[in-house]
Amino acid sequence: MSSSSIPSTFLKNVLNNGIGRYVCQLQRITFVFCKQKGDSRGTRDFIENKLLDFTNNNPGVAVYLQPRNNRSPKLVAEYLNGGRESIVTAKMSEDEINKWLEHLRGRSGIKIARIRKPQHTENPSVQGVWHPFTNKDSSLNKTQFPIQELSEVPHETTTTDKLLEIAKKLRETDVSMKE
Amino acid sequence: MAASIRLGSCIRRILCQKTSLSPLNVVQRGYRNKLRDELVQLYRLREEIGPEPLRHRSEWANWNYNVELFAFGKRLGEDLKEETLRTVFSHKCYIERERKKREDLGIDLQTVSLSLEDNEQLAEQGEVLTSRYIKGYLRHVYPLFFEEGISAVHDYLMSEEMLNYIGRHIGITDLMLCSDFPAKDSTVVKTLKALIGAIQQEKDEERAKRFIHDFILPQLIGVDVNETWKVVNPMGLLTAILNSQNRGLPEPRLLRQAGSNTVMAVYHVGIYSHKQLIGKAPGETISIAEEMAARDALKNLMKTADSRPALLLGKLAEDLNFDENKTNISAIDFIKQHEPKQAAEISS
Repeated sequence: MSSSSIPSTFLKNVLNNGIGRYVCQLQRITFVFCKQKGDSRGTRDFIENKLLDFTNNNPGVAVYLQPRNNRSPKLVAEYLNGGRESIVTAKMSEDEINKWLEHLRGRSGIKIARIRKPQHTENPSVQGVWHPFTNKDSSLNKTQFPIQELSEVPHETTTTDKLLEIAKKLRETDVSMKE
Repeated sequence: MAASIRLGSCIRRILCQKTSLSPLNVVQRGYRNKLRDELVQLYRLREEIGPEPLRHRSEWANWNYNVELFAFGKRLGEDLKEETLRTVFSHKCYIERERKKREDLGIDLQTVSLSLEDNEQLAEQGEVLTSRYIKGYLRHVYPLFFEEGISAVHDYLMSEEMLNYIGRHIGITDLMLCSDFPAKDSTVVKTLKALIGAIQQEKDEERAKRFIHDFILPQLIGVDVNETWKVVNPMGLLTAILNSQNRGLPEPRLLRQAGSNTVMAVYHVGIYSHKQLIGKAPGETISIAEEMAARDALKNLMKTADSRPALLLGKLAEDLNFDENKTNISAIDFIKQHEPKQAAEISS
């Protein structure tokens, strides 16, 4: 796939978050898991051992538990901007789930896409828009055009010239040798 | 290759003999021949029924209003009481609908009262405070900007579009108790104002101002304040300013020009006062360039040029004190006062 067909964005920040006060953009998270299946074991362990720490540290996130029989477990995250992400946590260990949860908590809810540049600004120029006279020499103001000086083609010795010179010299030495 | 084919056909023949199936009836594995038909049928059904109707978030199993309300309060860092938050989210239309529902069911409203207050009064209070604080802040940050400009920037921040954007991004939408669904923009805006009003009522005014400072004012980042206010006659205003400062009247001069007979013509005009360059700008025609140069000079004089210092937000504004009652000069009054005498005679 060419890069033009893959969705790409610039760096974005929702609501200029963090300039005033930081608001965690994760709104609610749902743990979907099975009570008996083996692949939900890590999720069950996480709920048992680590979930309370998470809720204590993040009171602004609503946490839901949804036991569902014989389904693979997953984390469903909903963000303030309406975004929604889910991660299947089948066969994951407790720590691995913790890492994914932290990943979801730290996100802004904007869909992940290729970022075109590592920096972005909404107002690209503080010094003003470029126009043909930016950084022009002010002496040009008083110049009367046309000037012969500026119209002349700058003359530099080219490689052809140099070769011709060498050939000429060689020819001259040849002639002198014969004589 | 040939050997393996021969071997394969040989095995099939043996198998077929054993299960007494003819080679033609060998069941193909891995293909669901009917799958396409099933999918087509499903697709047609979906077309007939139409798309899923929008449903409120509360209709899903994983929803608990109390939990959401608690999380909302904690998220914003405002420890409001639960009752206050409930009042913030209760709209008049919702309460009326509930009352009507109970009446229809034959429940006596006096014995089982609806213990809900609507947010009308809080919203009003919040709007007044927000408006006053934003204007005060803008006047403090741009002391030389004219009152019309301050009002324009204030209107931009207080517009329904902006407040709706803010409200939706702090998680108000799902929690609102209102009769309209999907939620109208105006309802979100009202709830946000009510929230500010509630903070003011329950905590104090300072706390509410801090909220405005942290959530509404940062939206000014990246906005050109000069663009929000459209000056009708920039040269007139510039003349008045220079006249009031006893400086020479503005004198536009053509600094440079190029391509005057082409579609890409550009003129560069500078405005001088007492032989000092106070603003310059390019334009497609001389008159456009002159107007733009006047605007540039105004920007420089009002200290709202592109190179102005950053806004006082976040930590920079922690102990910010300003007089909210102070107002800037209105451009119309200013022109009337400081119009040069000759121009005043001509206009009269």
